Amino acid sequence: MRAPDLYRVLLWCYPGPFRREYGGEMLGAFHAELRDARRAGRAARAAIWVRALRDLVPTAFREHRHVLMQDLRHALRVLRASPGFTLVALASLALGIGANTAIFSLLNNVLLTTLPVREPQSLVLFTDPESSGVAIGSQGGERSLMTYQEFLDLQRSSTRLSSAMAASSSLHRVQARLDGGEPEEIALSLVSGSYFDTLGVPALVGRTFDGTSEPAEGSAPLAVISHDLWQRRFGGRPDVIGRAIALRGGAFQVIGVAPAWFFGETVGQRPDAWLPLANLSAILPGRPWLHDVPGTVEKVMWLHVFGRLRPGATAAAAGAEANVTFKQGLARYYGTLPDPAARQGFLDQRLAVRPAASGATRVSDFANPLWVLLGGAGLVLLIACANLGNLLLARTTARVREVAVRLALGAGRGRLVRQLLTESLCLAVAGGLCGLALAFALRHALIRLLVDPIVLPATLDRRVLLFVFVLTLVVGLLLGLLPALRITKTPVATGLRDQGRGIAGSAAWLRVGRVVVIGQLALSLPLLVGAGLLARTLLNLQRADLGYARDNLLTVRVDAQGTGYQPARQAQAFEDLLARIRAVPGVRVATFSNNGLFGGSDNGDQITVEGYTPKGNGDRGSSYDAVGPGYFSALGVPVMAGREITEQDRAGSTPVCVINETFARRFFEGRHPIGLHVTQRYADQQHTYAIVGIVKDSRQNRLRGRIEHRFYTPATQPAASISEVSFIIRPRGDGADVLPALRRVIQQAEPRMSITRSGVLSEAIDRRLSQDRMVAQLSIAFGVVAALLAAMGLYGVLSYGVARRTQELGVRKALGARHATLMAMILRETGWLLVAGLLAGGALAVGAVQLIASRLYGLSPADPVTFGTAIAALAVVALVATWLPAYRASRVDPLVALRQE
Amino acid sequence: MSPRPAPSEDADSFLPLPTAVFHILVALADQERHGYAIMQDVAERTDGKVRLSAGTLYSAVRRMLEQGLIEELRDSPDPASADERRRYYGITALGRAVALAEARRVTELLSQARAAGLIPRKL
Repeated sequence: MRAPDLYRVLLWCYPGPFRREYGGEMLGAFHAELRDARRAGRAARAAIWVRALRDLVPTAFREHRHVLMQDLRHALRVLRASPGFTLVALASLALGIGANTAIFSLLNNVLLTTLPVREPQSLVLFTDPESSGVAIGSQGGERSLMTYQEFLDLQRSSTRLSSAMAASSSLHRVQARLDGGEPEEIALSLVSGSYFDTLGVPALVGRTFDGTSEPAEGSAPLAVISHDLWQRRFGGRPDVIGRAIALRGGAFQVIGVAPAWFFGETVGQRPDAWLPLANLSAILPGRPWLHDVPGTVEKVMWLHVFGRLRPGATAAAAGAEANVTFKQGLARYYGTLPDPAARQGFLDQRLAVRPAASGATRVSDFANPLWVLLGGAGLVLLIACANLGNLLLARTTARVREVAVRLALGAGRGRLVRQLLTESLCLAVAGGLCGLALAFALRHALIRLLVDPIVLPATLDRRVLLFVFVLTLVVGLLLGLLPALRITKTPVATGLRDQGRGIAGSAAWLRVGRVVVIGQLALSLPLLVGAGLLARTLLNLQRADLGYARDNLLTVRVDAQGTGYQPARQAQAFEDLLARIRAVPGVRVATFSNNGLFGGSDNGDQITVEGYTPKGNGDRGSSYDAVGPGYFSALGVPVMAGREITEQDRAGSTPVCVINETFARRFFEGRHPIGLHVTQRYADQQHTYAIVGIVKDSRQNRLRGRIEHRFYTPATQPAASISEVSFIIRPRGDGADVLPALRRVIQQAEPRMSITRSGVLSEAIDRRLSQDRMVAQLSIAFGVVAALLAAMGLYGVLSYGVARRTQELGVRKALGARHATLMAMILRETGWLLVAGLLAGGALAVGAVQLIASRLYGLSPADPVTFGTAIAALAVVALVATWLPAYRASRVDPLVALRQE
Repeated sequence: MSPRPAPSEDADSFLPLPTAVFHILVALADQERHGYAIMQDVAERTDGKVRLSAGTLYSAVRRMLEQGLIEELRDSPDPASADERRRYYGITALGRAVALAEARRVTELLSQARAAGLIPRKL
């Protein structure tokens, strides 16, 4: 390549306007310099090249910055010139970007949060991050949670971990007196002594637990409190150290305050204080959860166990090592079981090790609805962008003459496109910034829509910022795309010639505008259909048949673990309490059950059914509940055959059970179950019950899904000791005012029992629906906004089309066309827009509803009623938007129209 | 074009001048020149110590034209030798005022340095 050619290539580093203005001169000067240096030799010529290259970067940068500033000033001038448009555009972009960002930031928290601890990448988790609660019994296969003993074994034996820690997988809410104040409920996380050291979290004030060795059971009761509790209850004073948190089982001394950013090891959870596991008996009296008692097969699995890898150790190696220890523990514990098959079943357990940078989570099931909502918000933003793009396009078209003149005067099309893109990017960036600010408010509102607000750290991290940045860029490009395309196609001659009509190139604008409107209609339909399906799902869930009337039912859950009663005495105590509750004025009927209703507790065991041959291993289990006398009649569940459980079913009498219809259908096809037997097995224990009745199916915990087969035993004849029951009360009249009296009666009769939950059943069920409700409400909002935006787009395009044809319409009118004829003409001409939009939208919707199919209840994704309603609604909105321009067209005054000519 | 204030009023607002701009103004002070002639003049006057590249020159020229320090001539001052591609530039009244203001500024700096004994009376 010759030197001038090479320099010509380098000139492309400069912006177009500068290159066109000075490129030739620069090339000439450079050429002359080289020519004059020919005599001076190679070194002089090389120096010229070095200088040229050295100066290229700063000068090209300066020139680009100059053009950018010019474009920016121009864009701001244009935007200031039409404040109405600018405001509408900014508001819609801010809302659109804000809503998307709010939802994304929640998703970011739910799925992607990294624990705010030291080197989270070297943490591993030996339990299932999504599991929580207290599981008593046994588990086959992969273990979800671990016992305290298993944790201690792992901590003791591990060589690949620098440390290991355990934390209760759910928070425990207890009544506490803080610093001598009134009793109040606080949420506790029970943790091993090594908790803070393993996570690498220092105390903000005071100190954390001594992590060098696990404290002995019952050692000094200490507490580390959260920053939030410190601020809320101790006014952020440094003298909080040494203050007391008094629980039922003893007083805990505050030794430290955790940093504000530390929320624990589980996303979605925010404990008020961390207390040592070793002090369990003082925190939750009567719960022997620290030991795997030999001789039973019941383990209490309730802990998450984390480890920190030593430098160089891999998660796989740590997992293999942990499993060796774990298996040895299992062999010690279950090895003495006589039944080899049962033994093998218990021994077949293992730990799965996972990277734990993002900790455990209580909010993973929140991700799916958020994805759905993000999709909806994205579509709304797209539709809004189309409208704004259309408006920008209309303005560009109005400026076609200006554009054509500038083109004729030699301005490059590239420069004009660049100017337009600067304009739209300006809008997008301003909208993005407002949107980012708005996102925090919207995010807060989103969380508030949930009845049980989840607790998530609201941080503006790099991912959220990147999301806003990319979204803003995409929006800016989308907005600028239509006008820019249009500009590049404006022939100079057309623009200059077409002055009489004012706005030139408008036929082309209309063409593009129509395609955009079809697209908008097509995108709105899936949103409307989705909103309809989710709204009907919510309605169906709210009306779901539970098998009993959910209204006007109260539940009070009572925990008897602190009483120290023997099992028989305990069962008697519950019956005595029931008698007292029934005597409370205002109580119509009352009963109780071990699981209660919609409280999250359930029982399941292996069974054998008389005369039934199981079809494989999955066919041997059943859910069960232990219930008080008159349970079914009190609840209103009809007895289909035989009798229900009564006061006559006592500890000494024949063990009996009642089965539900699903149980009867499954195990007694074509046989009469009454009088046949069900045997409940657990390890080497077994209990056999005679079936005395069949009751109608009812729901206990889940609104969705099939009703599981279930049998009910009398609470006086339980297979295992029952320490907790829920009293279920149907009061006379409106009911909630009976609750205080009920609590009083229970507390007076059994002061050592604690009431863990009480309330109205329908509210508990409602809480279960808060996620469905939020998704339905937001989807409806998105659907309505999308339809309105599409209607606005349609209206804009049609009004413009009618305005353009004023003369033609005037002529038709003058020639005798009637109003109705003209209106019909316009409506006919625009009808195909609607039909095309609806057809495309229908196709999109059929695909899109598959994405929410798993959220639906009581209707199919292709529900014809919902589809029909959505299509009709969109058609009506679109017709209203069409009608106005059509009406205006029919009213054109021929004289006025013709005078314009 | 918005009206410009009188040269003396806003000459100071341009200071301090970038080296390239000052050299270009000096090169145009006695006669109008085209771009390459400016480059040559600067190099000669400074004994080759300052050499403007084409990029630096024209980036400065673009700015100086916009600021009104120089102007582009409609006709070549020397029609006989005119190369059609070449564009000629001349200094404006504002340009002169700014160059003068910059010279004063530098002189003042120099005399302050001399008064402080930093620089000998005669260099």
